[in-house]
Amino acid sequence: MSAGTTEQPGVAVVTGAASGIGAAVAAELRERGWRVAGLDLTASGAVDLALEVDVRDGAAMAEAVDRAGRELGDVTAAVSVAGHYAMAPLAEITTEQWQRMLRVHLGGFTNLARAVLPGLLARRSGSVVAIASELAIGGGDEDAHYAAAKGAVLGAVRSLAAEAAPRGVRVNAVAPGPTDTPLLAPDSPWRDRDYLDTLPLRRLGSPQEVALCVAWLLEEGTFCVGEVLNPNAGAVI
Amino acid sequence: MSRTDLTGRVALVTGAAQGMGAAHAARLAADGATVVVNDREPSEALDRVAHEVGGTALAADLSDPGQVAELVARTEETAGRLDVLVANHAYMSMAPFLEHDVDDWWKVVDTNLGGTFHLVRSAAAGMVARGAGRVVVISSIWGLTGWPEASAYAASKSGLVSLIKTLGRELAPHGVIVNGIAPGVIDTPQLQVDADAARVPLAEIHARYAEAIPLGRIGAPEEVSAAVSLLADFRLQAMVGQVVQVNGGELRGRA
Repeated sequence: MSAGTTEQPGVAVVTGAASGIGAAVAAELRERGWRVAGLDLTASGAVDLALEVDVRDGAAMAEAVDRAGRELGDVTAAVSVAGHYAMAPLAEITTEQWQRMLRVHLGGFTNLARAVLPGLLARRSGSVVAIASELAIGGGDEDAHYAAAKGAVLGAVRSLAAEAAPRGVRVNAVAPGPTDTPLLAPDSPWRDRDYLDTLPLRRLGSPQEVALCVAWLLEEGTFCVGEVLNPNAGAVI
Repeated sequence: MSRTDLTGRVALVTGAAQGMGAAHAARLAADGATVVVNDREPSEALDRVAHEVGGTALAADLSDPGQVAELVARTEETAGRLDVLVANHAYMSMAPFLEHDVDDWWKVVDTNLGGTFHLVRSAAAGMVARGAGRVVVISSIWGLTGWPEASAYAASKSGLVSLIKTLGRELAPHGVIVNGIAPGVIDTPQLQVDADAARVPLAEIHARYAEAIPLGRIGAPEEVSAAVSLLADFRLQAMVGQVVQVNGGELRGRA
């Protein structure tokens, strides 16, 4: 480790920690010595504090982050992973589906950021990572609502990054490609061999690979601000 | 799982006599790799870096394709194999476009872009044969934005971005993962070139650059080396053909 350029493990709040990428992030951080509060609709497994909360609910998120700080110590990092995925042709996306996409992804990220930033800014340290998607960058057939929500997350990340960096707090993102998680149904087109063969890597990404990128941004990406890491198996280059 | 472990791996870092290259060599050695360091000419500085990382110094002028091939061959001979190539070398000169000496203009491109092309060409053969390898190419923020009076340097670094993307696509099916890094303003001896071009003291250049960076400071070489370490991690394959920006927020989202 190079002296002075590495953030020490602290307390991280991870949303979506009950499964998939969120669970992998929680596991990777705990392995590195972090204490992790897992926030999800259902109780997260291997975490130091499991809190059941809907990321769309700003007041509940503020209360959960507050409790994480009281029980685990000052929160030094936050990772916004909670999300859901669905495909639909543009004309068939209902208002309800559209709003749910935006409230979960963009709302979930901004609710988390609103809850943790006052503490981070007061201590002039720490960082926030949002999970976006390769589809936010490249778009995709029948992905308008998901891609719009994830694209909005990237815009928010880059703006918040510019706003928080002068005050000592870093905000970055990771935009995975199709990843082997429960969000991809067994019959998902993203699991088709024909699709996988179009990827330079010829396979789905793993939650662990995404978690490595998240952990790196928190601990070692100390000169990364508004940056997006793309572990997407080469889906978007 | 934890941080990058390169125990048993061999890395070659070009342009390693000073600045970022020396930092990359130190980091990869700290991650467990056997490191071969290269620079254009033999020097005490290069020998010192090699000594510090417990590795080997091999001088070669990378604008000469013959010397590039020999460098890779000697690396594989000396260290037994080559797993991680870090193409960090660069030649830089600045001049107004219409005044830039044409031979010097091509020297910038042939060293930075051509040198890396020949390096990967030589190094990839062994990696493909073993079905595993990591190539990390150092581009530049100026390769993404362009910069006045740096047409040769920006063109060479921009060309590297396309090379990274293309080789990422082409070599990933063979297990060879190619990515790049576009550093912003980093505290290296190269800043003296910018200071000289602007005809101001070095401290003034540091301050001017820091003003344009949301984080309010220029970067440390070790912060770029951290990205090299990430991209050299053999557990991480899903990052392929990507350019990681390490610039303190000066440029957000253009790679």
